[in-house]
Amino acid sequence: MEVVERQGDYLTMSVGPQHPGSGHMRLIVTVDGDIIVKVKPDPGYVHRGAEKMCEVRTYIQNIPHLERPVIIDSCGILFAYVLAAEELIGVQPPPRAQYIRIIMAELNRIISHMYWLSIYGIFMGHSTMFMWPMGDRELFIDLAASIGGTRVTFSYFIPGGVRNDIPPGFKEKALKTFDYFVKRLKEYEKIYFNNPLVLKRTQGVGVFKREDAISLGVTGPNLRASGVASDTRKDEPYSMYDTIDFDIPTYREGDSYSRAWVRLEEMRESMKIIRQAIDKMEAGPVKQPMRGQIKGKVGEAFARTEAARGTMFYHIVSDGGKFPYRVKISVPSFRNLIAMSHLLEGNRLADMPVIYWGLDYWPVEADR
Amino acid sequence: MVSSGSAISVFAGKVNDLLGTIVEQSVKEPIRYIVNWGRLYALWPVHLETACCSVEFGAASGPRFDLERFGMLEAFGSLRQCDLLVVQGTVTRKMAPRLQWVYEQMPEPKWVIAMGACAISGGLYIDSYNVIQGIDKIIPTDVFIPGCPPRPETLIQGIIELQNKIRRSRVRS
Repeated sequence: MEVVERQGDYLTMSVGPQHPGSGHMRLIVTVDGDIIVKVKPDPGYVHRGAEKMCEVRTYIQNIPHLERPVIIDSCGILFAYVLAAEELIGVQPPPRAQYIRIIMAELNRIISHMYWLSIYGIFMGHSTMFMWPMGDRELFIDLAASIGGTRVTFSYFIPGGVRNDIPPGFKEKALKTFDYFVKRLKEYEKIYFNNPLVLKRTQGVGVFKREDAISLGVTGPNLRASGVASDTRKDEPYSMYDTIDFDIPTYREGDSYSRAWVRLEEMRESMKIIRQAIDKMEAGPVKQPMRGQIKGKVGEAFARTEAARGTMFYHIVSDGGKFPYRVKISVPSFRNLIAMSHLLEGNRLADMPVIYWGLDYWPVEADR
Repeated sequence: MVSSGSAISVFAGKVNDLLGTIVEQSVKEPIRYIVNWGRLYALWPVHLETACCSVEFGAASGPRFDLERFGMLEAFGSLRQCDLLVVQGTVTRKMAPRLQWVYEQMPEPKWVIAMGACAISGGLYIDSYNVIQGIDKIIPTDVFIPGCPPRPETLIQGIIELQNKIRRSRVRS
């Protein structure tokens, strides 16, 4: 932490981009003693120009670099792109491919939430809480890797379906993992969520009121922790989510503790969704064959999906060529940044890591 | 197929080589050997995440891969006590001066690992307007780990390569 300026009782300092427990982001914090008075976020350390790069790559070539902004949830960010590109190209994925997409998206949601939980442990100085979820996350990475081929970046969704079918024996392996993980989640509740240390650090810290959450435009688990039952999978069902029965976990408190609970419950719901998707899947092709140069028709398309961090929105404009004319990505993390500076004001400096990571702000995604 | 007998003889040969080097070095240049040995297995990495490879770095510190087995500690602590800078991914124009500052603040001796295709050459983002094409243009780099992102096993291999380099390095007064 570096002191930027001193003004009366107030001290302005720079937190980041290098400090333990932060990533590629910087906050310019003004404190009065221990209380944060004002926060000015300074994003853009990982701005790699993904939107501009889309304009010089074909619809298929765009897939690998578009999943890099949030590689722990790579299928979540790609889902909306693929839906919007399909509308422009004019292909329809077969039903089996749609179920496989749901399986992959939900596996990625679990992987992302597990990573979040483990880093949350580091931010509270609880190293067991880093080790346990990080170890259990590997099981889900194994499941996803058996479908997608790599550990985190799958490039698995393509316009017109998915790249390959799921391997034989996936169902048994998945159900075995889920049975283990459901038991594990109960232990997480006992050891972390009823832990006096975690309760002290998170309960009543960074309370996000329902009205503020709505007016600041926050989406996803953070909004649901503030008492708004909003989920794109339910509100505007895409793919095959309307055939699947699941609940939206909602909490009313809006503090860091309930934000953790929402994510824990979401992992349970995700496993429920995958179980149903495996059962409902019927044999058939997994991709629509496409020949020749893929071109989008003149016009624009948009798609909205629910990624692990909230609503992912893509707007693609096409001029009829092989490259998209303009791709706009609206990511949930950037809204969390606005919420973060709102929540931090009036809190203690020591609570900053918990509030920061409790919102699941992913700087690479926000900067694009 | 490698028969078990030849596998054992290969292993025995490697152990023999290693023991030979250790004995030779410790007899010839004992101070150099001891200093390098001390540096080798206590690498403190800086916690500077430049982009998305940090996910695999985190996974490598986790229980399945466990970097500490190889003498690399977890990324905690101050810059002043660190001797290893793992550049985890893309370095943008905004991050580049900060990366240089971080490198300059670290005490000697220090080593740099470029992790991932973006840190090596710009990788997938080589034609982006805001990305530095390779960190070796800004800071001296010792080991390059390929992959996008590299698997934790590859990261471990890179760290072992760095340890081999440290083992051979000269001790300056």
